[in-house]
Order: sequence, then structure tokens, then C-alpha cells
Amino acid sequence: MKSLPAVAFVLVLCASTPASAGDHEFRGVVRSIESAYRVHHAHIPLLGVALFFARPAGVGGLKLAIFEGFKTPTDVVDVSRVIEGSLGSDWHPFVRVRSKGATNGETTLIYASPAGGRMRMMIVCLEPSEATVVELNLDDRAIKKWMKEPGEEAANQSGRRRRGD
Amino acid sequence: MRRTVSHAIVILLLARPMLLRAQEIKLPPDVEKLSVKAKETVEVNMDGPMLRWASKFLSAEDPDEQKAAKLITNLKGLYVRSFEFDNPGAYTSAEVDQLRAQFSSPLWSRVVGVRSQREGDNVDVFFKLEDERMAGIVIIAAEAKELTVVNIVGPIDVDELADLGGEFGIPRLNPKTLPKSTMKSIAKAEKGNPK
Repeated sequence: MKSLPAVAFVLVLCASTPASAGDHEFRGVVRSIESAYRVHHAHIPLLGVALFFARPAGVGGLKLAIFEGFKTPTDVVDVSRVIEGSLGSDWHPFVRVRSKGATNGETTLIYASPAGGRMRMMIVCLEPSEATVVELNLDDRAIKKWMKEPGEEAANQSGRRRRGD
Repeated sequence: MRRTVSHAIVILLLARPMLLRAQEIKLPPDVEKLSVKAKETVEVNMDGPMLRWASKFLSAEDPDEQKAAKLITNLKGLYVRSFEFDNPGAYTSAEVDQLRAQFSSPLWSRVVGVRSQREGDNVDVFFKLEDERMAGIVIIAAEAKELTVVNIVGPIDVDELADLGGEFGIPRLNPKTLPKSTMKSIAKAEKGNPK
């Protein structure tokens, strides 16, 4: 009976890990960034568990990779090229948010892959010394919110990251 | 010589799709310059297939969303650039005039130009006619600390433009900023032209 919590724990881990079997696009983007900018994504213990509990409403299939010590190029178009080169033709550049801080700036690039009743999103957030890649699946309600105010949702997304929510 | 010609043909064939893409202006080239001054720049890009897909998520029970869904089905693309500035006066009226000037070709006509002295809000709506059909609309909405440029590519009835306000990041178009009389007269002028 002791094995039940262990099984549940493994299931949670499998439900949202940084790179699972069917996510070649996510892994492709991570690898492209690694090879283009000679960085490695950080290994975060129990990331899957954290993502499972931290996911916002209407969002599933969260995958996350963090690149510490990433130096964002002056022209973020370079990064877009790297990302677009690794994503397939069913991914569309959807939203881009650029914000200027007092001491730093941040760019969020969002790509969308709509299919049937769901939408996958690849969110790449570039900060002066860190980059983050997130893949997620949106349900009906979340899609509606994004379609209503894509810019606002994207700005909230980057704002949420800045606030560390 | 023959080899040079064949190389030139190959290069031209390869370059053709790029040239065709370049001819289709998504947003005025000068608009990107404003992002240097802006505190925050938001770009939204939705091409035709994505718009058609997105239309399925607009509620069939909400009459406004239903109108918007019908409207976007035939669009080729929707592009929004929104700039938020720290202080009023961060961008000059000359910069906005430069943007407006890019729609001064015979293909484009200005439908609405609303200037608010008190609030400093200006809205310009330009439309493009191709073969006497509406082929697109550009909206430039300038507020004291915010500037939004919307390009709607594809056939759209100008009198239904307000229905898209509030969807896909398009600012809500106040009936005051889009005077009904002006919109109706444009719509009538359009109906007068055989499609």
C-alpha cells in the first residue's frame, strides 16, 4: 500500500516534466538555443512537481527550460531566427512583447500552433542574463482569453514572471 | 553566358516568393522605430489560417462575437503594434504624421480623422481599395502615452469595423471616434461601386 503515494508521485512527474517523449519541438527549441548560444539549460530538481502545482487555470502540458547566464543578443531577431528554424511550419509567430526596464529589458516571443480545439504555445522569454522556454497547451477558455486580448495576456505572462508569481 | 543566364533565372525564381512577400505591407516600416522610445511594445500577428481557426472560439451566443467571427473569416491577416510610453510627449506628432503619410498613395483613402484637443487622443482610419473592393483597413490610434497601429488585411465592410473592436487586441472603437454618419456615407459609396 506504501507504493501508492510513490506511484502518484511518479505520475505527477510524468504529467509535466521538462522534456517528455512526444515533445520534439520543445526539445528542438532548447537544443537550438543551446547550440546557437553555447549555453545549457539548468537542471531543476522536482521541476515536474512544481509545474504541476503552479500551472495557471486552463493550461496543461507545461514544459520549462531555464538558461542561466544567457546573454541576450542586442538584436533579438537572431533569437527569433533560431527558434523559427527549429519549429515546424504549423507554428506561427503570434505575439512579441518588448519591455524596457530602468536597468534591463525583456523580450517575450510567443509562437502558437493551433489545431482543432486546442492551441499549443511556445513562450521564449529573454532577459539580460537569463532565458526561459515554456511550452504549454491551452484549453477552450484560455484560448478565448488569449484571442480577446493577446497582447495583454502576453504582457501579463511576462509581468507574472518578473514578479515571480 | 548561358550558365550566367540560367543562374540568374534560378536566383529570380528563388527570390520571387520573397519579393511577393515584401510587396504585402503588414505595417508601415517606420512604425518599428517607435519601439526604441516605448516602455513596452506589443506585437500581435495573426495570419488568415490562424484567424479562421480563432473564429471558432468566438461565442455563437454573443451577437457581437458572432459578428466578429463572420467578419474575420475572409481576412488575410491582422497585425497590431501597440506602444506604451513612460511620459506624454515621448513620441512627436511628426512621427505620427510620418506614419499617416505612408497611406497617402492613391490606393489608400482616409475615412476618419478624429482629433481630440482636450484628451489628446487622435484616431485615423485609412482604407484600401483594390479593383473597387475593400482590401484592407489601417487604424492609427494615438493617445498621450500610447500609440496603436492596426492593419487589417482582406475584404472588410467599413461599417462593420467597430464589431472587431475589443477582439484580437484591436482597441474598442468608440462610436464617437467612428462617426456613424461618416461610416454610413463610406458604406453607401462602397455599395455604389459595383463589386
